[in-house]
Amino acid sequence: MIGELITLLITSVLLNNAVLNQFLGLCPFMGVSRKKSSALGMGVAVVFVIVAAGIVTYGLYHLVLVPLNLEFMDLVTFILVIASLVQLTEMFLKKSSPALYKSLGVYLPLITTNCVVLNVCLVNISNGYDIAHMLVYTIGTPLGFALVLYIFSCIRERLEVADVPQCFKGNPIALIVAGLMAMAFSGLAGII
Amino acid sequence: MNRMQNFKNGLIKDNPVFGLYLGLCSTLAITTSINNAIGMGVAVIFVLILSNMIISAIRKLVPDEIRIPVYIVIIATLVKIIQMLIQAYAPALDSSLGVFIPLIVVNCIILGRAEAFASKNGVLDSALDGVGMGLGYLLAVLSMSVIRQLLSTGVLSMTNPFNEAQVLFSLRLIPEDFTISMFSSPLGAFMTFACLAAGLTAYKLHVQKKEAAAKAAANSQEAAK
Amino acid sequence: MDFAQLFLAILFFGSLVGIYIFLFLKNKKTPKPEGCENLKADCEGCKDIYCPNHPTKEES
Repeated sequence: MIGELITLLITSVLLNNAVLNQFLGLCPFMGVSRKKSSALGMGVAVVFVIVAAGIVTYGLYHLVLVPLNLEFMDLVTFILVIASLVQLTEMFLKKSSPALYKSLGVYLPLITTNCVVLNVCLVNISNGYDIAHMLVYTIGTPLGFALVLYIFSCIRERLEVADVPQCFKGNPIALIVAGLMAMAFSGLAGII
Repeated sequence: MNRMQNFKNGLIKDNPVFGLYLGLCSTLAITTSINNAIGMGVAVIFVLILSNMIISAIRKLVPDEIRIPVYIVIIATLVKIIQMLIQAYAPALDSSLGVFIPLIVVNCIILGRAEAFASKNGVLDSALDGVGMGLGYLLAVLSMSVIRQLLSTGVLSMTNPFNEAQVLFSLRLIPEDFTISMFSSPLGAFMTFACLAAGLTAYKLHVQKKEAAAKAAANSQEAAK
Repeated sequence: MDFAQLFLAILFFGSLVGIYIFLFLKNKKTPKPEGCENLKADCEGCKDIYCPNHPTKEES
């Protein structure tokens, strides 16, 4: 059981990475990764929102939707829960910790339309995870996202001063870098 | 006149995928085959047209502060309906597109168009805008999937989405021994996308240069008079 | 699907929407801490000018 959970953790962080293998969360990935500080802020915010949203949606699905035979309402429920949690988190940050709000509050509304969050909620259900697996997956996936986002922002800061062909400047060369990162990470497949 | 110009812009110059970098997640993930591309493109067009029309129809009734929540709810309901229809009538498409059908809800294109266009214009204009942006998206995913499918399997093929066994066409253009399977992996997806996006940027720069040259020529002619 | 289930579905959906709109409005009303009025996300990657965080938007 512990071995299974550790495998799931390593898989969700490195081997089945949300950005590089599952192609999720690319819009903020391209947008927020120009500076290391904003990447770090976004990463922490995403971890927090996904953990909260994953647990709440899992609970809601199994305790409310399944007993009432309302499984078809999963999509609408999840997106509303995610959006509400983002609002709640922003309010909480505004009131309790201005310093935290300053560093990552601006990215919170962006997370509502982040594919990773909705994907984690949906996969928790469709893969039929029990609570332990759900917790590991819900914590591992955003950690993988944050890790790759941070590494990517470090590379992109260097790219700004590199000599890139005119038509590749900006996003295209960043995407090629992402592809090379995907190739590098796929080499880690031998870990398990 | 203005409408046609907007429509044409949405197809190539302001292509939502390669020009504005919206809807990246689904573009990179599902473009491994032409079937997927067309299925996803049609689903997105449906959702875009319907959401644009509904949001435009109720734009005067919704108080300004809560418009984003209302849009999200409308789009989520539409996507769930489309997902159930696809599950019922084209199950092969459902299993190959997987989780990316529900993820149409958070596709930046749909919410973006709803907020920018449908909340300010009439129903017919919004529907046309939905068609334009949707066709731009379809063009983008189709071009990516043609390249990726051709280079990774050597065959251009398409099966009937409603009847998995029926093959509509299948052309082998590259012999089996020379296929590059990299293109079906994430690396190939990123590379293809980057090259196509760079191609569009190059085209736009070229057009800009021509326009600037024409303007400079016109200015110097005027100055000479 | 019988009427009881349909009624429950609409009730559940309505309460979720209600909670969301309530939190959204409450969030809008809470003032940002001082020093945070002019925050702009360092975000210029996608040209999604419809995103609420895009640098060209003025605070409304």
